[in-house]
Amino acid sequence: MAILAVAVASYIPYSLRSPQGPRGGSFPGLIYGSVGFAFMLFAGLLGLRKKFPIWRIGRAQTWMRGHLWLGFVAFPLILLHGGFHFGGLLTRVLLWMFILVFTSGLLGAALQHFMPRLHTAQLPMETIYEQIDRVRGQLVEEAQQVVDECCAALEGEVSSATERQRAAAASAGASWDVTVASGMQVDEQASTELRRVLSSEIRPYLEKTGRHGVRIADAPVAAALFRQLRVLLPSTIHSNVDDLENICEEKRQLDNQSRLHKILHGWLLVHVPLSYALLLLGAWHAVVALRF
Amino acid sequence: MLRRIRTTKKLAKRIDLQYFKRPHPLRRWRFWLSLSVPIVALGWLVAQRTQGGQKAYSSGPLSASHAVFTQQCSLCHVTRAGAFFRDVSDDACLACHDAPVHHAKQAFTPTCSSCHLEHKGSIHLASTSTASCTQCHENLRARDGKPHFAESIASFDRAHPDFSPAAKKLTDPGQLRLNHYLHMQPNLMGPNSKRVQMTCEDCHHLSGEHGPVAYAEELVTTGSLDQANILHTRSRPSPMLPVKFATECAGCHTLQFDTRFGPEQVPHDKPEAVHAFLVKRFQEYIGRNPASVHLPEPPTRQFPGRIRPVRTAGDASEWVQFRVDDAEWLLWSKTCKQCHALKKNAGTLPEIIPSAIRTRWLDHATFDHKAHRMMNCTACHTKALDSHDTADVLLPGIQTCRECHRDEARSKEVAEGRCFECHQYHDWSKAGLPKHRFTIPELRGTAELHVPQP
Amino acid sequence: MSSKPAPDVQLTIDGTNISVPAGTTIFDAARLNGIAIPTLCHQQNENPVGVCRVCVVDVGQRVYAASCIRQAEPGMNVKTCSEPVLAARHTLIELLISDHPSPCARQQHSGDCELESLAASAGVTEARFPKRSTPRGKDDSSAVIAVDHESCILCDRCIRGCDDIRHNWVLARRGKGYQAGIAFDTNLPMAESSCVSCGECMVSCPTGALTNKRVVGTELGQGDVLDPTELLHLPIFQNVSGTFLELNQKAVVKRHYRAGEIICREGEFGSTAFYILEGKAEVFLASPMAHVETAGTSQGFFRKLKSMLSPREQHRRSEESDRPFIPIDASVDLPYDRPIAELSPGDLFGEMTCMSYYPRSATVRAKTDCVMLEMLRNVLDILQRNKTFRAQLERNYRARALDSHLRSVPIFASLTKDFIDHLRDRVELVRFSPGQVICRQGDVADSFYLVRIGFVKVSEERPGGELILAYLARGGYFGEIALLSGSPRTATCTALDHVEVVRIARTDFELMLDRFPDVRAKLESIAHERVAENRRRTTQLQTLPVDQFLANGLMEAQSLLVLDLERCTRCDQCVHACADAHDGVSRLVREGLRFDKYLVATSCRQCRDPLCMVGCPVGSIRRRNSLEVIIEDWCIGCGLCANNCPYGNINLHPFPVELDDPAHPGRKIASTRVKATSCDLCHDHAEPSCVYACPHDAAHRVNPPEFFAGLLKQSSVAKG
Repeated sequence: MAILAVAVASYIPYSLRSPQGPRGGSFPGLIYGSVGFAFMLFAGLLGLRKKFPIWRIGRAQTWMRGHLWLGFVAFPLILLHGGFHFGGLLTRVLLWMFILVFTSGLLGAALQHFMPRLHTAQLPMETIYEQIDRVRGQLVEEAQQVVDECCAALEGEVSSATERQRAAAASAGASWDVTVASGMQVDEQASTELRRVLSSEIRPYLEKTGRHGVRIADAPVAAALFRQLRVLLPSTIHSNVDDLENICEEKRQLDNQSRLHKILHGWLLVHVPLSYALLLLGAWHAVVALRF
Repeated sequence: MLRRIRTTKKLAKRIDLQYFKRPHPLRRWRFWLSLSVPIVALGWLVAQRTQGGQKAYSSGPLSASHAVFTQQCSLCHVTRAGAFFRDVSDDACLACHDAPVHHAKQAFTPTCSSCHLEHKGSIHLASTSTASCTQCHENLRARDGKPHFAESIASFDRAHPDFSPAAKKLTDPGQLRLNHYLHMQPNLMGPNSKRVQMTCEDCHHLSGEHGPVAYAEELVTTGSLDQANILHTRSRPSPMLPVKFATECAGCHTLQFDTRFGPEQVPHDKPEAVHAFLVKRFQEYIGRNPASVHLPEPPTRQFPGRIRPVRTAGDASEWVQFRVDDAEWLLWSKTCKQCHALKKNAGTLPEIIPSAIRTRWLDHATFDHKAHRMMNCTACHTKALDSHDTADVLLPGIQTCRECHRDEARSKEVAEGRCFECHQYHDWSKAGLPKHRFTIPELRGTAELHVPQP
Repeated sequence: MSSKPAPDVQLTIDGTNISVPAGTTIFDAARLNGIAIPTLCHQQNENPVGVCRVCVVDVGQRVYAASCIRQAEPGMNVKTCSEPVLAARHTLIELLISDHPSPCARQQHSGDCELESLAASAGVTEARFPKRSTPRGKDDSSAVIAVDHESCILCDRCIRGCDDIRHNWVLARRGKGYQAGIAFDTNLPMAESSCVSCGECMVSCPTGALTNKRVVGTELGQGDVLDPTELLHLPIFQNVSGTFLELNQKAVVKRHYRAGEIICREGEFGSTAFYILEGKAEVFLASPMAHVETAGTSQGFFRKLKSMLSPREQHRRSEESDRPFIPIDASVDLPYDRPIAELSPGDLFGEMTCMSYYPRSATVRAKTDCVMLEMLRNVLDILQRNKTFRAQLERNYRARALDSHLRSVPIFASLTKDFIDHLRDRVELVRFSPGQVICRQGDVADSFYLVRIGFVKVSEERPGGELILAYLARGGYFGEIALLSGSPRTATCTALDHVEVVRIARTDFELMLDRFPDVRAKLESIAHERVAENRRRTTQLQTLPVDQFLANGLMEAQSLLVLDLERCTRCDQCVHACADAHDGVSRLVREGLRFDKYLVATSCRQCRDPLCMVGCPVGSIRRRNSLEVIIEDWCIGCGLCANNCPYGNINLHPFPVELDDPAHPGRKIASTRVKATSCDLCHDHAEPSCVYACPHDAAHRVNPPEFFAGLLKQSSVAKG
């Protein structure tokens, strides 16, 4: 920050006194330019630092703070360097790119400030973003097994139900606690209905990411559906219905997480490539400007 | 009541341990974009190179005068030793332009480009900024002794010393008596006995004006006004023409010498010439009218207190001598003396002290009256109408100029206040010819250009 | 009484006159004449006791007589199946059945519970009497015999079998009234008693009170099934009940191996032990003796994240053990630098695998053609209780393993050969069954223990609860602190599974310390460290009330990796850093349960009770003094620790290694070996890599009491 203050302070007399006004090529202008570029280079090095996270050359947090502050200060420095003019074609392109990188960086910093809180509050059942598809697949299997077990119980096959329940122990992060009560009344119709709900409503929802126009993607609609199910099915397997609902809720949260995560990381798609191009063109500009 | 129980182990078990190494859309996009965008940028640079030459690196459009070689960067950006640097050296400018040195003893010579900045668009290249001058003049140092001028001139507004007449409190060294106040009074006696009200323009003319001259001798014709062009300037300033008797005074200030000759006037010339003229005229007269030798003199007007004996001549040459004396007495005592300062020498002709009318007051600046011709003369020369004395310097001080001319000429509603408006850097008195003569193909870039290196 | 033989006795049974020699019981008399009287507590090969009264007959006297014990008297008129007798018998059976959990284990298994058969034939279908209310329990401790006191009818057949037939004198009656029952020794669990698993009691028992325990996969598929008579010929099976062997016939088989054949591989799970009859076998560790380094810097710019293992000579970790020997599940230990040893006839290997279902600790390959006995745990249990076999085992151990075992304990490395010879015959091998306490905190110290096989839990009673100090595997030792300082035992040592310890008596221990002062010095320094460490942990626990924690397993942890979810941008830098530091294997997973706004990541928690350490067949996972887990070079990748960890913090990871190509000697081929990996707190650096690499200051390694106490205090204040 001190550098910025010094830079700004020294800009004013400099701009008044130089023969042609503030220019990139004049001596102070060169200083601004090189310091600004050096800051940008360091900011670019953050990407490299992240590739070797275990090198003990300073904590990642220090580098991150450095990246933010130096990048922030680089912007006015470059503005001072150019004397608030756009210059020719190359420098115009450069300055626009820099503005884009800078604003995307500011946006990213803001996002990283409040998005995690949002993320955490909205998603109690979040998982690792890259594994969402895999977990979702496991949810599908789990739902299938819940329904199979319920249907088996409803159809009177108690022993196979319990066996399936034992077999379904480990999927999708859940473990089975209570045994299915044996001796329930056989209810074929309920079983058919349950299977229908699974195949036509729940599975389509679980099998693909996003909403895809599925009815139960809406939480109220899903709640209503499960309420209906509970009315239909005997109370001993209501806990299974609760599980199904929970599975759908988890899927909902996973979708939400996907969305939020993309927001949280999407700006990088602008920031990072442009900054590399910026560094490249900036170096070229330095060479060319010094040449001419 | 939920039967699903989340435990840490179950949650962890559902994660593939190598997930962070596997490709993933976000990461993939980031990687490919990070690769492709710089490549696109590089490609753009290459495209620029092949198509537009070096136009992309131009930091701004060229000035109007150089716009003709926008595409030929190498005209000015000459490859120097080392083959990398192609900045503009003075030699490139000097190929076409001449730039005589400002002062033989200046501490350093700034490069052409340090004051004349190209690539700023359609500006006038010669309009250098104040800073170009103040880089030396703000703190002027002389190699030996003190500088002759003000040591510190930083800007026109604040630090510019007053013009030398006012600053040094000069007085007009002119030996010609002139009372501006009187001349501006109404009802003055004009030519042909008409009453006139004079204006400034009646005596003070701009060079280049070819209008009729109000109070000139009949011999004066239009077209001859531009004779006196004292300053060898190359550009605009048009000086006020010096006030000449023949053009500005003779209309009213007639030089009659004798009633016998009526309105004939002596030539406005040295006393010797006037004497010779008088002798000749009287000789001619007495030759034509020999009987006039003995005629009594018509009563002459005598100054009270100064009685001049009326002499009667015996013969023609005496008559001529007496009449010449009379005429000269009139002239030296009154007519000429009205304006000139005479040094009377006993027995011989007087000596007219040279008028020494200063035609140029500002030695180091030029003032263009033509640019200001819409002004009322007294708007700046405020003291003119009240000036009774010749010694009055009627040049306005810098404050008058500052009413309109300020430093921030470009932005605010002020007139140009940068140094170049009045001052010149290059000593054009020492200007030479361009070193190189170009052909049209060379200038247009269709032929190879060889700028000679010194 | 007199010299002349007693005259025969004449009596009438069911209308038939018979004459039997004097002293014959009514039962025998009836039997000899073809009349069957139902019995329960009488067995032909045992002395009758007349307890059950099922054999009562009407002898014309006031009370019915128990025919099994009542001698025939001349002129007796015995009615064995008259209506009153049948009614009496019926009632007796009813009474017995009323307390019998039908169908009992035996009835279920083989359908021949004598009581229930009797009841069926007597037409007793249900009892009118309520079941007794005092449960008598089960005893599951033995590996071979299941004891179900509920089914016991107190017929005492087992007692007689154990005492009179086998002369083992283990069983007896205990208690009175409804608490009466049979007991082993002083009512110890069967496995802890002096029972030798001969099986005689089980064979004698009429009901399902003592049944043969069926082992999963009872029948070994391969190999030749041996006849019990063949087995009995082997000296190691002496004194084992033939019937018992017959019942367990398929649980032991004879296997033939050609030279070069692999008998078992390290890391495999199994349930059998091997006893070498003929031939020699090689036992070795095929896994590379190396561990995964924690890298401080990346090696090479373009190096892909491939794995690299380094042995301890190349890369030393702090507190890495310098043990020269690797403990395995056999009678020898393997030396570290060349982990191969030889087994000869009479050697047993695979004990731990068989008894406690641990993975195989080493690879065994037949050096010459071999003949082996492969057995399941019931047979092994029999063997281990067999005196002959035990003697042989101990002899082997003393001759071959004790030396290396003692030397593998670093502090004893400087013992001289003659001293070890002196010790050899003076040490005692003692067995303990699961859960048995070896020495208790506060007891007087009288011996020093080395663990020969099995796992011992060392724990201490603390104000806040029990704190487990260590799990000791083969090669571990305990008991020295109290001996050195003369104070009572500082900790309780419990056997976790079938444990055998080598006990060195106090006198010998002190002799050793006198003769070898450097050993004493080392022991004292270690003891000192341990005491200091314990003291430190005690004070730590006492500063904060331990009971305020949530029982989320957080209390068990001593160090948690928490991610502040309000700062974490889910960028995975921590995972990348961990993987970078550990050759491509991340030791942490960014998933787990949440606590408040913190995610407790799945990464080693340095639990106070390290469940992961229980069961390592080669003893390669242990704890450094600085809390974190270290997995030694000789991990064989069996995965037991990974299974045991309740949080899934240990993962197995395949590493590509170069091994000698068996087909082309001198060349190497690429192969993969699996090693267990766990977070090691990046011990060699100031800060763990994950914490170091987090750009948003969201990752922290915290000490749960201090970290969460503040939060809980706040929340408890808020709740009022």
